This record gives sequence, structure tokens and C-alpha cells, in this order.
Amino acid sequence: MQVTLKIERYNPESDESRQETFSVDVVEEATLLDVLDVIKDEVDGSLTYRKSCRMAVCGSCGMRMDGAAVLACKTPMRPVVEAGEVPVISPMGNLPVLKDLVVDMEPFWAKFRAIKPYLDDGGEEPPVKEWRVQQEELDRVMTEALCIQCGCCVSECNSMESDPDFLGPAALAKAARFVNDVRDRGGKSRLEIYNGPHGVWDCTRCYFCNQRCPKGVHPRDAIAKLGAAIYQEGMHSDGGARHAKVFVKSTHQTGYLLETHLVPETVGAVNAIKEIPFALRLARAGKVPNPLKPHKAKKLDEVRKLSKLIESQEQATLEAANAGPTRPPADPARAKESE
Amino acid sequence: MKSSYAYYPGCLASLSQKELDTSTRAIAGKLGMTLVDIPGFTCCGAGDVHEARPEYYLHLNARILGQAEQLGQDTLLTICNVCTLNLRQANAKLQADPELLQRVNRNLKEVGAASYSGGVDVRHLLWEIAEGDGYEKLKQIAEKPLTGIKIAPFYGCQILRPSRLLGFEDPDRPQSLERIIEACGAEAVDYPSKIKCCGFPIVLARAEVALGELIQPLAEAKEAGADAMVTPCPLCHLSLDAWQGKASREADMEFDLPIFHLAQLVGAAAGLSYDELQFKRHVVKAYPVTDKIYQGV
Repeated sequence: MQVTLKIERYNPESDESRQETFSVDVVEEATLLDVLDVIKDEVDGSLTYRKSCRMAVCGSCGMRMDGAAVLACKTPMRPVVEAGEVPVISPMGNLPVLKDLVVDMEPFWAKFRAIKPYLDDGGEEPPVKEWRVQQEELDRVMTEALCIQCGCCVSECNSMESDPDFLGPAALAKAARFVNDVRDRGGKSRLEIYNGPHGVWDCTRCYFCNQRCPKGVHPRDAIAKLGAAIYQEGMHSDGGARHAKVFVKSTHQTGYLLETHLVPETVGAVNAIKEIPFALRLARAGKVPNPLKPHKAKKLDEVRKLSKLIESQEQATLEAANAGPTRPPADPARAKESE
Repeated sequence: MKSSYAYYPGCLASLSQKELDTSTRAIAGKLGMTLVDIPGFTCCGAGDVHEARPEYYLHLNARILGQAEQLGQDTLLTICNVCTLNLRQANAKLQADPELLQRVNRNLKEVGAASYSGGVDVRHLLWEIAEGDGYEKLKQIAEKPLTGIKIAPFYGCQILRPSRLLGFEDPDRPQSLERIIEACGAEAVDYPSKIKCCGFPIVLARAEVALGELIQPLAEAKEAGADAMVTPCPLCHLSLDAWQGKASREADMEFDLPIFHLAQLVGAAAGLSYDELQFKRHVVKAYPVTDKIYQGV
């Protein structure tokens, strides 16, 4: 089949950018990476992109097709050809472009290093030769452990476009992988890194990361796991956690969001005073509900009881998680095998 | 489209964004949709309770779904992106895991709440009128075409992504709003960030980051020649409308872009008045566009 691509080219020596169109004949099973290889072999040897394993394991060939980050080796071209489309291939977003489709991954790795991507066992000696992890304990981190660090999530992160220092979905997904590892003893000091000004609460919940991840890591869900760990540890110093606290409180007090509490309780009383002219503009349009007569849900006692009941169950789960790895079974045969 | 729905307006349409609830009820009558109120519904917990206390979030949403079921309804109608994702995500979890459903129901029973069997589908108003008989009905009621008005569709995030939980349309090339704009006789304006974030979830905790996100769609839509913007989400609406002044100062650009709720757009094309659709409850004045619609000037 014949595939036509428009490729965004960038030459760092002349600092020139241009879009170039290539048409090549490829086999029907060809992926985007196969097409690029044919172009490089047969048409223009200067075309530059990263690749290695060709089987969605190494995470090297992240790039954009029509603005959406993909792994080139995992993207079949036949449906694109059949739809009569000529896609635009460009480098990933949120990372500096070095040449053509190659981006500088250093800012990505710097954030990765910042989250302490290694096990912190607190210096404790394992009960036997090694820390034994049960299958259900492994299952808790398996989703995040699937990450191949390709950067497709980071490429599309809307918060990172606005705050380039945001730790971002890939690093935070890796953080969740360690927070939920039963062997890890990083505890609050680990969470404090993620609770910083460019951490968890920077996430705007655009869900581009979940949508783009080629490995099903669901980075946004991982960030939410960190938010839950921070919140349930009682770390409520950040405006993000305080914002969440108002929502939780709202469901108990009235069943509906207490909109008038959100500003003072998230940004603090002093900053809230600065927002008075803004609040008055909203009030003139009827957007500020009367705080003295809040709208109350019926059967509110059900929700209050529900929150208390679940809180006690959450506490039990948290304590179990903090109790550390399951000790090896007392079965002498298995104990012997592990020694 | 169904003839009747358990109607879940959520918090914002019940509080600061009442014009959305009023307009939805008004167009439902015209479309022949019966909206059955859910007595005792609460907040879905938004992204916040979902993040901070995921177990509590799951139970809050199971309770709402159970209440819908108790009304004898098999479909719950939402008018907010965040409510849609929250309810659908909880629903998918409960439907896929009978043991979890059983445990949640035990808790619901203990506090005296209605249990949930897993038989409710959660649908956003947008999806009900963007295709099939709902779309045909929309074309019938759109008797006053909004000719000559250019409208920028703004989808918001949580009606598109993650598509495995939402899945109504291609999350990168959605067309539902465009189809509705056309059925209303207006012209849809295209611009790249129509599928991006409005920044609202972090507008208080991270004001600068949020404003950076908000400026993009406003600037692009304006540049593309839009007279107004339409969104299916009251949170996006609040961000695009109430925070537009701040975005304007931050970007040093004049936007003056009226933001319509989806139900207001449909209502205007269906001949409902300025007052019935409560356009006066907007922060960015809608009259530069509504005057064209209602007075032809």
C-alpha cells in the first residue's frame, strides 16, 4: 500500500523548521515506524527519530500523529490509508525538540529522579533472605509498574503546558508505584515531595495521560492514588487538599457543594479578601448562593452515616497498608526454601 | 433517546448555574423527554472526593444510582461532564465486580439508603440529542435557526476522556457539538483547543496554571471568528464565563466572548425567550449575540 505522511522537520544547525511530504510503498501490515524506516532507507537518510525494540517495550519511538502522542511501532497505518488520510507526524509536546522527531528527554528524567524512583526499605533487615511479596500485594502496583517511560502522557499534559515544572503524569505514576509498594518505608517524607508546589495538586484532571498511554498505566488514576494517600495522612497544607476537604465537608453539611466556602478555605482568608471585587461581579449575575440559607439535600442523615462508616473502613485499610509486607508463611517447607 | 429519565442536575446547576437547570427543563419539554427528579440526591463528589476519599466517592455515587433505580428508571440523565465521568466510572466498577457491589450494598443498607442492582445507564444530554431519534427531534424543534451566528464548540475534558469510560465519540475528533450547532442553524467554528482543559478543577488551588489553560481556547475561538462559545459542562462554563475577565487581564487580550450552555443554545433555536433561558445570569454579557438572535440586530 502507498502511505503519504507530512513530517515536521527541524534542523538545529540552521534553526529552520519545515513540513515535508513523503510518499512510500510499504507492506499492508506496516506500522508508522516501518514507514519512517522505509523513508529513511529509500528517500532521505537525514530523517531523524528514535527507535529500538520495535515492539512497544523500550519506549523510544513516542511521537505525535495528527497532534496525538503515539508509539510509532504500535500504530498500524492501514486504517489511516483506508480512511484516505495524510497524517502530520511531529515530535512529542512539552519537551524541547532536538532534531526532526527527536525530543530532549532530560527534563523528563530530571522529574523522574526527583520523585525518588527506588525502593526505600528504611534500612530494615528482611525477615528471611529477602522481602517476600504476595501476589495481591504485587497487584496493587502492577498497573503503574507497566510504564515504559515513553513520554506519551507527558507530551499531552495540559497542566505541564501551563506549568513546565509540574512533575507530571509519568513521574507521579512511578511515585504511586513506590507509595503502594508494601516493602517501601518512605512514608510521609516521600509524600511530602509529591505534595509540593509542582506536585499532585497541579493536575487539572484533563485525562489526556490516560487516553494516550500505550501501556494502560492510567497515570491520572495513579495521581489520584497519591492525592488519596496525602489526604488520608492528614496532610492538608496545600490548597489542592484544602479544596478537596471543602467537597468532603459539603457532602456532610448540605449534601451539595458549599460554593461560598471554596474560595476562603482553599486560598486562605487574606487572599479571599482580595477576591471580593471578583465575588461581587459574580454576585451581580446571581452566581453566589446565599451562604446563610444553603440548599440542603433530603435524607442527609444517610450520607452523614455513610461517610462515617466508610471513614472507619478507610482507616482500617490505611493501617493494614502501613503495617508493611506480609511476613513469609509459617509453613516450614516454604521457610526453608526461602533461606 | 428515552421518553423518561432520572434527572441528575448535580450541584452547580442547582446552585450558581441555575440557568442550566432551568434551560434543560425547558428544552426537555420541547424534546418530549420526561425528567423525573431524584429526591435526596447529593453531590457526586466531583474530582475532589473521588481523589481524596475514593471509597466514599464510590458509595456516594452508588447511592445516587440506587435512588434512580428506585424511581423505576433505567437511564440517568446528566448535564455536567464531571458528574458524567464520576457516575459512569463508579457504575462501571460496580457493574464489573459483583463482590464489590455486594459490599457497597451492605454499607448502603446499614445507613438506610436504597441499594443498587447495577441496572442504570448514565447518559449526558449532549449524547441524547447528537444522534438518532434525539437528533431528529432536535431538528424538528429548532424552528428559529440561528442564521449567521458563529459558535465555537468547547467540549471540556470529562465528556471525551478517558474514552474507555465515556466512549460516545472519537475523543480527538468529536463532532457531536458541531452537529447540534448546525441543527440549530448556526455555523460551527473550528479551533485546535476545543478538546482541551478549561483549567477549572485547579482554578483556586493553582490559579496561574489554570488561567494559562483557560486563555488558550478563548484566544483561539476569538481568532477563529466566533461570536459565542457553547459547552456541555457547567464547570467549563463557570471557568470560561466567570473567569474570562481574569484570563483577559492575564493575556492582555479582549475576549468578550459570551458562553452558552448547551441547553441555552438548543433553547434559543427552539424559540425559548431570553428570560426563559436566563441569559441574564451570565457574567460575560450575552446580549451582543442574543440581540442578533431575538431582535435580528
